[in-house]
Amino acid sequence: MLAARRGFEPRRRRRREFTALLFIRLTGAFTAGVMALVVGFIAFNGAGAISVPFLTEYPRDAMTAGGILPAIEGTLILALGALLTAVPLGFGAAVYLAEYARPGPLVSVIRLGVLNLSGVPSVVFGLFGLALFVKTFGFGRSILAGSLTLGLLILPTVVAASEEALRQTPQSFREAALALGASRWQAIRQVVLPAALPGMLTGAILALGRAAGETAPIVFTASCAYTLASPGSVFQEVMALSTHILNLATNGTRIEETLPQQFGTALVLLALVLGLSLCAIIVRAKLRKGRRW
Amino acid sequence: MAEQNATETVVISARDVDFFYGEFHALKGVSMDMLEHEVTAMIGPSGCGKSTFLKLLNRMNDFVPGARLAGDILIRGEPVYGPDSDPVDIRRKVGMVFQRPNPFPKSIYDNICYGPRLVGVRAKQELDALVEKALRAAALWDEVKDLLGKSAMDLSGGQQQRVCIARALALEPDILLMDEPTSALDPIATAKVEEWIKTSGLTIVIVTHNMQQAARISDRTAFFYMGSLVEFGKTRDLFTRPRETQTENYITGRFG
Repeated sequence: MLAARRGFEPRRRRRREFTALLFIRLTGAFTAGVMALVVGFIAFNGAGAISVPFLTEYPRDAMTAGGILPAIEGTLILALGALLTAVPLGFGAAVYLAEYARPGPLVSVIRLGVLNLSGVPSVVFGLFGLALFVKTFGFGRSILAGSLTLGLLILPTVVAASEEALRQTPQSFREAALALGASRWQAIRQVVLPAALPGMLTGAILALGRAAGETAPIVFTASCAYTLASPGSVFQEVMALSTHILNLATNGTRIEETLPQQFGTALVLLALVLGLSLCAIIVRAKLRKGRRW
Repeated sequence: MAEQNATETVVISARDVDFFYGEFHALKGVSMDMLEHEVTAMIGPSGCGKSTFLKLLNRMNDFVPGARLAGDILIRGEPVYGPDSDPVDIRRKVGMVFQRPNPFPKSIYDNICYGPRLVGVRAKQELDALVEKALRAAALWDEVKDLLGKSAMDLSGGQQQRVCIARALALEPDILLMDEPTSALDPIATAKVEEWIKTSGLTIVIVTHNMQQAARISDRTAFFYMGSLVEFGKTRDLFTRPRETQTENYITGRFG
């Protein structure tokens, strides 16, 4: 009888189960712990700097006083610009890949491209943006150049998330629309896209968080150390939270004195990115309600 | 069943139809005529080609990679696969109901209006009238007339399938194709859909796994086996006096 073998002995089996579970729990706890440590460290050190003026005023006295309003504005503008760049391109590419493309060399090349693009270090995107948008296209260091660079950076994320969302839309929706005399594009636009949109938007919002946090791409293409006013056109430079931290911590003449500002800025950036992720989770949960497929 | 007023007008005609999925020979020289106002049932074991054949009639196999067709299919004398034939146009005239209810995640009203809106019907009054007519025809009006704004996904399986029937009927199709329309339904819902099929008066081609169902609702029955049309005739004759041994073996449950 196989059940009499040692491997089936209940005590031994339970011990193994316990060990495995313990290990899995420990890894989970460790991951959560690291996350909590980072957030806690930033929050502990940065909380003191946070105040209404810090969020609503311009920096003063060589950044040692005043607020970070222009950096918050700049980050939001750049992230939005990145989204405006990546969403049309990304959604379009995803629709092509998921709905139209037949397996073949072209699709393989596109997929490979998307995959590799997501592995390119962000500093390389920065240099690319500098060479193409800032220099060749003559946009200068500007919101436009920075948005386009960040947009390309998050493009693979948007494509991958959107394609996945489209693929999860039941084939039966497409069949139903086609059988009622819809053209392929009508079926996609009227039935498939509305059904896939929650997933596509979730991907886009998560990508937005990534764009908001990036530093290297905008160092070369969009950000400046200090501005006196909100930008009036997309050809102007802006401050950004990430590069503001970098500047305070590396370029300033009074690095030690600006430490509270550095931590405060980091905390704002962290809150912004986590807030966006939270948004994505809420959007997904809300839109998933009432969907059963 | 409309045997008494069958007009013997051929609506769909298949001539020597061969169909391939890549190397797989899915249909072998199928020829059959389907008559106006009749219910034609197609039976046979899984993989016998009956669903493939059904989907050829409204070109739903067009997107299958590596598919290849030989032979002719005519609907009212017009080639379905001719150089000038437009699949979208054909699908508007030939409705289809699928194996699993597949309503869109929209309101009942918008589900039914999908087809009419595609062909450009915009006026509210006209749409309202079409919705009521289609739902009445699908024997669903009384159950949902006060819930038209509700999501079709919230209905029971049987109601969903009748929404799908109504959605197809809203285009006032000439022919309705049904691919095992009751296989995902409970017996009560099945009875309602069957009742509708028997009394609709439409030209219906239905694929079914269920031989009793074919016997109950169809005027003519086609038995498919391994891609070939083995026997095709009046339902009563096929079930009581099958000409082919294979047919007899299948309907008596010896295989399938």
